[in-house]
Amino acid sequence: MEYFIQQLINGITLGGVYALVALGYTMVYGIIQLINFAHGEFFAAGGYMGVILISWLAAQGVPPTICLVLSLGLTMGYCALLATAVEQVAYRPLRQSSRLSVLLSALGMSIFLQNGLMLTQGVYDRAYPTEITRGGLHFGMVTFSYMQILIVAVTAILLVGLNALVFRTRIGKAMRATAQDKTMSALVGINSGRIISLTFAVGAGLAAAAGIMVGLYYGSVRYDMGFVPGIKAFAAAVLGGIGNITGAMLGGFIIGMVEIMAAGYISSEYKDVFAFIILIAVLYFMPTGIMGENVDDTRV
Amino acid sequence: MRQMKSTLLALALLCSALLFAAGCSDNKPKEAPKAAEAPKTEAPAPAAAPAAAADVLKVGTLSPLTGPYAADGNDIANGARAAVEVIKDQGGIPGFKDIVVQAEDSNCDPRQAVAAANKLINEKVPVVVGAYCSSATIPASEVLAEAKIVMITPASTNEKVTERGLKYMFRTCGRDDDQSKAAISFIKNQLKVDTVFIVDDKTTYSQGLADNLEKLAGAQGVKVLGHEHVNQGDKDFSAVLTQVKAANPAVFYVSLQNSASGALMFIQAKRMGITAKLLAQDAVYHPQLMEIAKADAEGAFLTFGYTDKETPAYKAFYAKYQPKYGEPGAYSTYAYDSAMAYLMAVKAAGSTDPDKVRAALLSLEFQGASKKIDYLENGDSGSNYIIQMVKDGKFTNYWNPETGTLY
Repeated sequence: MEYFIQQLINGITLGGVYALVALGYTMVYGIIQLINFAHGEFFAAGGYMGVILISWLAAQGVPPTICLVLSLGLTMGYCALLATAVEQVAYRPLRQSSRLSVLLSALGMSIFLQNGLMLTQGVYDRAYPTEITRGGLHFGMVTFSYMQILIVAVTAILLVGLNALVFRTRIGKAMRATAQDKTMSALVGINSGRIISLTFAVGAGLAAAAGIMVGLYYGSVRYDMGFVPGIKAFAAAVLGGIGNITGAMLGGFIIGMVEIMAAGYISSEYKDVFAFIILIAVLYFMPTGIMGENVDDTRV
Repeated sequence: MRQMKSTLLALALLCSALLFAAGCSDNKPKEAPKAAEAPKTEAPAPAAAPAAAADVLKVGTLSPLTGPYAADGNDIANGARAAVEVIKDQGGIPGFKDIVVQAEDSNCDPRQAVAAANKLINEKVPVVVGAYCSSATIPASEVLAEAKIVMITPASTNEKVTERGLKYMFRTCGRDDDQSKAAISFIKNQLKVDTVFIVDDKTTYSQGLADNLEKLAGAQGVKVLGHEHVNQGDKDFSAVLTQVKAANPAVFYVSLQNSASGALMFIQAKRMGITAKLLAQDAVYHPQLMEIAKADAEGAFLTFGYTDKETPAYKAFYAKYQPKYGEPGAYSTYAYDSAMAYLMAVKAAGSTDPDKVRAALLSLEFQGASKKIDYLENGDSGSNYIIQMVKDGKFTNYWNPETGTLY
């Protein structure tokens, strides 16, 4: 039983990270039907910006808690700006072209950003200052490390915040309207260009938060760290029903949990296999994903 | 016009963002940019003297210069560079105007390693120092053997490397069967415990070593509580570590291909409250381990070849290497010795003819920076694994399996 609870905690932590990254894929897909392959790179950029800021702030003698909060905020802001810039450069000029061109542009951007990171930050792992998040709570055999608590808490806050933003504010309403019909929403006075930029920014901000927490949790970052979580998060977004925000959260937690449980009870050798078996099985019976709506031909 | 302006603005922002990130990167010496510069300085050499191309001795290296194993890979290229510089300082080799290093990237990938080996064949190098991952060394060596190119691996410890009867294949480091013997002897005779949990990451090297240990453990009466596999590049080990914790072994044997992954494993193991003694192997051996794992690496044991840092050979190596490439990594000395052995053999043989060089290498016996080097008929040069321990953030000699005594 204790073993199961421990694996459950591990699964929720990992699932939270996937959920945060998956949201970016799903939001961008929801609004312009683009699979943003560069999204994993925002995650990596966030991880790097996080280590730069945390190390710098800690060196200035800023207390750890403030240091964490400040770096998290600044990193999210930085990645939001970066995503806006990427959108302007790589996607906006192609708004009227075929979907394939934008997809290629996204792939190109991903390669560009990853290599940019490699050139500026080097090919080595960069260590995170892990001293601030050492230790945890022990309940018998079960360990709930402070870092896991932090990840779960921050993920929960961000998910609630995002839900509020999308479903309770005017900006959220504009986002949903643009997702439904760009032309119509433009006719009623919504600046769809700005809303699209904003969607990119919010998605990248969430990915950045995930990046910084992954860095803290695992202790290091590397330039290519965005690739694998990017693929998994994309799978999570598809699993939940791409375009659906609640679905992406759910998908993230499912993929994380399946991976951990497969590793814990079968073999960690095959954990990715099980994650993707679930994906295939769900898509076979529910082609639009768990929460996906019926997609009419204007959106495929 | 307005759109143009905003695009320009965005571009500027993007560039400044990248630059800012660059500006903030730490100011420790990084080997990577040097590795990138090196080919530039080498390129003009053949162009300047096209007629005398044969007079330039090209030493090829094959190692992962990018990707997860870049740290060890660059150490190998730099070790070979240091050897060439030392030989040049001593007046070079008679008959050759210049000696250059051509570093190729194997990325620890069998396909890329073969492609890079073909490239080196095209470049007409007579020798290749490399590769790093056994799984890349083996296929690359087949291609190089056909072209009759001498290959000296400074780091591939899998037994198969020298057991395929390849005539021009040499190995400067030790062998995994010896390495696992040292590990089991340490568990049995020094720690005096009888349970172990093994984790590897499924590469030819890491799994080969882990399987060896499992076999030996059975024969020695040490109980293997579990043997799990993770994937290369995994960051999250929480599931497998929960298994380890439940099994509660006395020793947790970590056979990963990469020191950074090893560091992540150590951090997460400590966080999980695992109290088993950590024992790892030579691929986890790298200063990067302590850089990332910090206090979590304290007290961990590793099997690694014994290097006497007081020999004149090591001191000569260090004096050349450290100012230019930073602190030596795990395989810097082995790469240095590999290149050194080849250059000495060429000097002795008076040519780069592979058969003459092979004969010269076999008769060669010298004190290298890493160890005393004396190649055997099959290309091996003997193993001298000892147990090292991480103490105060440094690798220190701990136990000698030969004599069974502490250092």
